[in-house]
Amino acid sequence: MSTTRTGQAPGRAGSVPARLLRALVTQRLVLLVVLLAGLIVVMKLLENGGYLLAPYSSDYLAAALIDAVPLGLLALAELVVIVSGRGGIDLSVGSMVSLTGMTFGFAVGQWGWPLLPAALLALLAGGLLGAVNGFFVAALGFPPLITTLATYYAYSSLALVSNGSAPISTPRIQELTWLTQPVELPLFGRYVPDFPMGLFLFALPVIVLLWLNVTRGTYGRQLYAIGTNDTAGRYAGVPVAWVRFRAYLVSGLICGLVAIVNVSQFASARPDAGTAGNGMALPAITIAVLGGVAITGGIGRVVGVVVATVLVVWLNAGILLSFEGSEGSQYQLLALGGVLVFAAVLNGFATRRYGGTS
Amino acid sequence: MTALDERPRTPRRGPTGALGGRITGQELVLIGVIAGLWLVLGLATDTFFQAGTLGNLAYVVAPIALVGIGMTVVIASGGIDVSVGSAVTVVTVIVAKLVRDQGASFAVALLVAVGAGALLGLTNGLLISLGRVHAIIITFGTLNLFRFIALRIFDSEQVAGVPGTLAFLGGGGAGRTWNVPHAFLLMLLLAAITWWFMRNTPSGRHYYAMGGDRAAARLAGVNVRRQEILAYVLTGVLVGLASTVIIGGGGLIGQNVGVGMELQVIAAVVIGGTSIMGGRGTVLGTVLGALLVGTVSSGVTILHWPSQLTSLFVGVFILVAVGTDVLRERARRRA
Amino acid sequence: MAAQQGDVLLDVEGLSKSYGAVRALEQVSVRVRKGSVHAVVGENGAGKSTLIKIISGAERADAGTLRFAGEPVTVPGTNQAMDLGIATVYQEPQLFADLTVAENIFLGREIRRGGRIDWRAQAERVQTLLDELGLPRHYARRQVGELSVAAKQQVSIAKAMAREARLLILDEPSAILTDNEIEILFDLVRRLVQRGVAVIYISHRLDELFRITDTVTVMRDGQVVGTFGTEDLSVRQIAELMVGHELDNGRTHRDPPAGEPMLSLRGLGRGEAFRDVDVDVAAGEIVALYGLVGSGADEIAATLYGIKPATAGSITIGGTPARIRSPRDAQRHRLAMLPADRKQHGVFAIQDVAFNITTGHARGFRRFGFLMDRARENRVVRELMERLAVKAPGPHTPVDALSGGNQQKVVLARQLVDRPSVLVLEEPTQGVDVGAKEEIHRLVADLAAQGTAVLVVTADLPEALRVADRIVVVRQGTTTVEFDPGARQADVLAAAAGELSQEGAG
Repeated sequence: MSTTRTGQAPGRAGSVPARLLRALVTQRLVLLVVLLAGLIVVMKLLENGGYLLAPYSSDYLAAALIDAVPLGLLALAELVVIVSGRGGIDLSVGSMVSLTGMTFGFAVGQWGWPLLPAALLALLAGGLLGAVNGFFVAALGFPPLITTLATYYAYSSLALVSNGSAPISTPRIQELTWLTQPVELPLFGRYVPDFPMGLFLFALPVIVLLWLNVTRGTYGRQLYAIGTNDTAGRYAGVPVAWVRFRAYLVSGLICGLVAIVNVSQFASARPDAGTAGNGMALPAITIAVLGGVAITGGIGRVVGVVVATVLVVWLNAGILLSFEGSEGSQYQLLALGGVLVFAAVLNGFATRRYGGTS
Repeated sequence: MTALDERPRTPRRGPTGALGGRITGQELVLIGVIAGLWLVLGLATDTFFQAGTLGNLAYVVAPIALVGIGMTVVIASGGIDVSVGSAVTVVTVIVAKLVRDQGASFAVALLVAVGAGALLGLTNGLLISLGRVHAIIITFGTLNLFRFIALRIFDSEQVAGVPGTLAFLGGGGAGRTWNVPHAFLLMLLLAAITWWFMRNTPSGRHYYAMGGDRAAARLAGVNVRRQEILAYVLTGVLVGLASTVIIGGGGLIGQNVGVGMELQVIAAVVIGGTSIMGGRGTVLGTVLGALLVGTVSSGVTILHWPSQLTSLFVGVFILVAVGTDVLRERARRRA
Repeated sequence: MAAQQGDVLLDVEGLSKSYGAVRALEQVSVRVRKGSVHAVVGENGAGKSTLIKIISGAERADAGTLRFAGEPVTVPGTNQAMDLGIATVYQEPQLFADLTVAENIFLGREIRRGGRIDWRAQAERVQTLLDELGLPRHYARRQVGELSVAAKQQVSIAKAMAREARLLILDEPSAILTDNEIEILFDLVRRLVQRGVAVIYISHRLDELFRITDTVTVMRDGQVVGTFGTEDLSVRQIAELMVGHELDNGRTHRDPPAGEPMLSLRGLGRGEAFRDVDVDVAAGEIVALYGLVGSGADEIAATLYGIKPATAGSITIGGTPARIRSPRDAQRHRLAMLPADRKQHGVFAIQDVAFNITTGHARGFRRFGFLMDRARENRVVRELMERLAVKAPGPHTPVDALSGGNQQKVVLARQLVDRPSVLVLEEPTQGVDVGAKEEIHRLVADLAAQGTAVLVVTADLPEALRVADRIVVVRQGTTTVEFDPGARQADVLAAAAGELSQEGAG
């Protein structure tokens, strides 16, 4: 929500540096943009000093954005769920991606469905899985952390069992890679780098739709209301359970989309796509929190999460250029963890010093 | 309900002096379910009641339950620690390299494991307590940080050829007496001590008070911060012990050791009846929860079902456990 | 004069306390004797709660002295008060639901034996304590979460006594209790008194003062009106003292419309909370449902708005029967409610004013089926801010940056977005400053003038007399007598506070 705090906290008056500090600490977007600018400057300096393995060029950055698609979409899913309040969180996004990805893989790769119906099936499957989470959390009042931990297990199990733990990678699936590969934009495409197709097919539509619904829509109003104060929402006549249910439903639908991206990106439907290693849920939650989403609910903006995604992806891309071999992926973990702890401690500080973040 | 409900009633928990108070309803149900499963598995297969099968089950359960003991204290007091899996990775790789490259003795390895675990736990505790940030966020962060540290120490290679220095706690023959893994006995011993501590000492009771109402506990004179930090340190110490169990007989330590373990531990704790909202939970329940998960896993294997089905059952058990907790809370609020 | 049981235990002399420009206490002096049950009564805002907060260490006085057991003392915090032997039992007991009663009583001061809690010693102490207090022994081993509200209160008192309290402050203990439970409480209090404990007893229910207290201190406007022996007074006299001389209550004359009832309650009841409630409110009429804390008036409001649905009787709105099982049902019948608990039930604190006003009215601001109509929202919000004179820099100021009165206006504005035909106001001016109070009262009159049926549910008598066309008194969970606004405050108060054989006065 675009609430700028107009004069009520200490530290409002004062010098330019004091006000800058205040803006950095309390306005997450300002901080993220400053960090992003700083990152690019530092990487450019490193590049000019000859410390990088390859140039940190605009083409490189554009191509790196394909990693932003699944990461950013899932972070947006976490935004919706966490904002809905009452301890909202979705640990099951990774296994929802796995299971809907397998569904999609079966439809395209084995049953020979055309792309569009198969994509719709994936969305339907994602919606169904999200609805199960929503039912337990919103209708029955189960704690979200544990509910989605349970469905994390259940869904990942189903994904693995569905094809005997084997991936589906038929030629028909391998044909789908165009969905995520870089394309030259029409008209002015020659003057800008080639952006990945997935950005336009998946990320932009979701960002726009979510922004319209969550930031500008009546649904978003109700969502922030129940996340801020569940009881007051009920007194105001907000259909609390239904609004919260839809948050988990949206999370499932987004997972369906991410599954399609994932399958086409790797030319294979893998049953552990979203759960291998640390899974997809942890980075998604990390980016949401970095983007200014408060774990207590009711606070967080779509724009913040989008910028945080770009920051993390470009930071990761820069790290990859700075280290040889697998060291890069290790330092990515350091960056992710460090940035999260930093953002969380900053949130705590902002609350005590200035009364909150916006 | 009227004010004076004179109906005599068996108290639910320990500090009552009565024998009936030592075991909770949820624990009884769990014992029943585990016994039932064992009976079914024993009848359905020839192999389940063989000492080897049960011994393996006990060995697999031990590290989960060990960390679960600390996690019970953390969750009952209103916190959570999702970094334990990564912490296990860190301690495991440190200790594995120590015994392989420096030839460290059993005692030294154990000491380093416990010390390193405690240090990681202390990091969590200090960040949570001093940063005043929700535990789940901080430990999500340290999950990544610990994993980074572990991978740096792995140095892009698995640790191969680890000697059997810690075999006494391992799953092999040297780690068992009459087929009972020493690791399982160690876990039982520590669980019993912690169970007693949580039940019978002021500090133990204060953890429940903190989980119930942190502000009121502070007003009542509970040193909330010290208790909180100690809970994470305790979890770290147990992470250290669990790591030595995992290294056990040595051999190959892969980079994936410990990954995802936090979820298994939390599942065991929740199935054991600890409320994720804090204020309620017992170590005995957690041990039973871990045992149930281990039994299901073992059963799926010997029935030759796809091993991945285990997770499905675990998910269902979690939902059932939480469901009873939610229903009980509602009934209480209505009273 | 007062029954002189024993030595003075607590001697409060010349206590004053201001909050900003508001004088909460002015030169208050009270003496509480050992073994005495000392009532402190007064209307809301008379200064009772400030007085007990200072005695119990929750607040500090600006001026004045406290002497306890003859010694001058300072009470910088609640823990110091406990150490002195001053304990307070509030309506909401601060106990740990998952621990047993015995544990709660000893939390933070456990009896230890070699590092562990000495359960046996603790149990014995608790059993002895329970015996002395006449409470059931089996309490000791029960988890507090399993106990009733009344039992929790008894446990809180036992906890205070375990710390050897010599002065026990009971803050409206009877408000949450049934008649039976009150008997048990009184037995308990009598036992304490026999042990030489002094009790300060805060209550609005004047009738019970005669059954349990020996001394009454009446407060009004932050001052002590006087201290009397309870038997020397009657309910009526206490009410007169609380109210003081009748002031012109600033009421502007209105011609109450006499039409068909817009809102009509017949035999409405819910479980044990209230029963047989009959009220009619015509369009354009303002009716006050006046009852003391614990009378059940607030429960009636909660049922009207569908928070806790009725179990008996009927609600009719505009001639059609209404089945209200949720706030949304209420809205569908064009019934809006301003909740009493602004913080918990009213505001979305971190959100802005516009958000707070339009939330819950999604249908009215929908464009293209899903977007907020921001232009319309802005217009409506500005209009309502102007109409209610909300003092805020703009519609996008966070609501928690506003004063209590302005927050209340914002929540009230939310109820007016859809032009309700019935408006229920629960404690509409609780915790707001005098200026905002005036404005809210004027606004309520305006709304009624435009044809809204208004039901004001309040425990604030001057407010009821000032805004309402009729006052219906709620007592012990049901509607009793009715007054017109010309009634004397003391009469209404006496009726609500339990004077028996009260005929409808005028």
